[in-house]
Amino acid sequence: MVQIVASITSLFFMLVVTAVFAFVAMKSREKRDYEPIKKKWYKARTFYGTTLVILFLVVTIYTLRELPYDQPVYGEENLPIIVDVEAIQFGWNMSETEFSVGEPIEFHVTSSDVTHGFGIYDEDKNLIAQTQAMPEYTNEVYITFEEPGTYEILCLEYCGLAHHLMIQKIEVK
Amino acid sequence: MSSVVSEEKSRNNLVVSYLTIGGIVILAMMVFGVLMLLAQGGVLEFTPAAFYQFLTIHGTGMVGAAAFAAAGVMWYFLSKYVELSKKIMKINLVLFLVALVMVIIGVFSFEYASAWTFLYPLPAISANAWGVTGALLYLFGMLILGVGFLLLHLDMGRAIIKKYGSLAKGLGWDVISGKKAEKDAPSSTVVASTMVTIVNVTAITAGAIVLIMNIINVINPSFTFDPLLAKNLTFAFGHIFANSIIYMAVIAVYEILSKYTNRPWKANKPFLIAWTMSTAFTLVIYTHHMLMDPVMPKWMLIMGQILSYANGLPVLVITAYGALMIVYKSGIKWDMGSGLIYLSMFGWVVGVVPAIVDATIVVNHVMHNTKWVPGHFHMYMALGACAMIFGFMYYLAKQDSSIKTNKIDKLAFIGYTIGILGISGSFLVSGALSTPRRWATHFPEWMAPANVGAVAGVLAVLSLLVFVIHFVRYLNKRNKVDYKQDDKKLA
Ligand code: HEM
Ligand SMILES: [Cu+2]
Ligand SMILES: [Cu+2]
Repeated sequence: MVQIVASITSLFFMLVVTAVFAFVAMKSREKRDYEPIKKKWYKARTFYGTTLVILFLVVTIYTLRELPYDQPVYGEENLPIIVDVEAIQFGWNMSETEFSVGEPIEFHVTSSDVTHGFGIYDEDKNLIAQTQAMPEYTNEVYITFEEPGTYEILCLEYCGLAHHLMIQKIEVK
Repeated sequence: MSSVVSEEKSRNNLVVSYLTIGGIVILAMMVFGVLMLLAQGGVLEFTPAAFYQFLTIHGTGMVGAAAFAAAGVMWYFLSKYVELSKKIMKINLVLFLVALVMVIIGVFSFEYASAWTFLYPLPAISANAWGVTGALLYLFGMLILGVGFLLLHLDMGRAIIKKYGSLAKGLGWDVISGKKAEKDAPSSTVVASTMVTIVNVTAITAGAIVLIMNIINVINPSFTFDPLLAKNLTFAFGHIFANSIIYMAVIAVYEILSKYTNRPWKANKPFLIAWTMSTAFTLVIYTHHMLMDPVMPKWMLIMGQILSYANGLPVLVITAYGALMIVYKSGIKWDMGSGLIYLSMFGWVVGVVPAIVDATIVVNHVMHNTKWVPGHFHMYMALGACAMIFGFMYYLAKQDSSIKTNKIDKLAFIGYTIGILGISGSFLVSGALSTPRRWATHFPEWMAPANVGAVAGVLAVLSLLVFVIHFVRYLNKRNKVDYKQDDKKLA
């Protein structure tokens, strides 16, 4: 979902950039005095720059409202399951690998050797959450699975020659 | 008079050597890029060890060679304004070659494969994939490379301070504050070079510290360091050093476009403020590489997003806008040099888009370390920075000799554009499909974009081959002319 929004947004602005560069290239062979062009373009730049700053501000505020770092507020009856995850060249030690739909889960992720990446993939192989698995530190991922199925943990930080084989299945019922 | 000419000639000789080496290394590294894509696409099969060695050499070689060539570009133009040491330029060349050899031996003879980020403590803990020798060859090689660049930047800093009084004045702060008139502002070349000096001295210092930490840890694993500190230093180094490439190479854009269009590209106040912003932001936004490290102070990560957005402003509002304005209705005569330069600005700006999107924390949460990341930086590096370098190579050849370009060069221009857009686009598609980066093999559903990328990669390789051949032909011409002139002098 996030990926789709990100891709479409990127594609849109990349096409805008392409159109602008193509337009200017097309108009490049005509020859006009520079001074009037400068005057006009500088005026336009003030508008363009301001628009851009406002756009960035709006997007910033909008996207910073909820961050994956924030621990959810749990109700009395709905305390999270804490799962200890330890990455090790080249596998995952997890205190639990079977979960239920709707229960809040906290993965507490660390590593016993080098840095790995803890990436949770759904059945369609979409990345839905991740954090770094670092030696000496514990990073937390908060997640509540909404669909049953077989999910997979893939390693998302290069950690040695079997990096791409660090895969662990987890079941959500 | 003749001594002035030969002085310039020998300066150009150095620049030409930088570009030749840079061009050839980039070409060679592209071949490894294609091989990696073919492996990921399931077309070729080789061992994971080979794949990760290719990954390591490709990343290291590309960043190193592009930085090296870009330094040549910067040096060429900066030496028109300040007095730079040729000796130091030569020392950097020698150190670069030494480093290159060490890295190649470390990677291919001793199977060292930590990727170019050598993230602590991976160099020491390889699960027996490589040993101490390979790691030390690589790490010391990088250290030597850093020393060479450090000397070069210190010399530039010295020369700028000597001529302009201080680095602050090199950035035009006295003009920004109104003490000095806009018309007396330092040239855009000097401003950019000052910026690069500041950020790269910082980058190399951070890099040297973390390299030495790794070296100590490799030699004696009982000496350990804080992995989070090491990570911060690594990305501070890697982000800044890789980004400095485009800030060095963009000098060619300023100089060449203003010359071709006969329009001045003066450093006015907004320009100077933009470069000061770039200096500050480039130094601090490396934290966007650590958005998936929630143990970092939260404010640093939030600043990582905000400042990464802000870092887009100087290029989007000043540099790119300036390039468009100077070209618009200028009656410019397009050739390979100006064409590649214009293309490079497009590459830079178009690559900024997915970069900014990925610097958004909620997006990064599901795109960090997917192929989205190489997607944006191949635009920025291969279509941006490298096109600046190649454009400069065509420009120099034209300035310096009677060499002509032909149809094949033009075809190569189109091939390069399509090739790199194809590679970057296929990476972005892979990233949108959640394909992890740095994976020796892909699941079947992830293979197709890799193969599209490989085909585009072949096109890019062939096109660059044409660029390089043109440059070598120019070198031949240039040397022949040399002899003739020398003969005349003797007679
Ligand atoms: C024909 C052109 C090229 C091809 C086919 C190519 C291909 C690749 C591939 C397959 C990867 C690994 C992607 C992954 O993580 O799975 C990669 C990574 C990379 N490439 Fe390229 N590339 C090309 C040109 C360039 C250029 C011109 C530069 C820079 C000047 C560059 C810089 C890098 C860097 C820095 C990495 C990251 C290495 C790492 O993850 O450790 N590439 N490239
Ligand atoms: Cu791992
Ligand atoms: Cu891994």
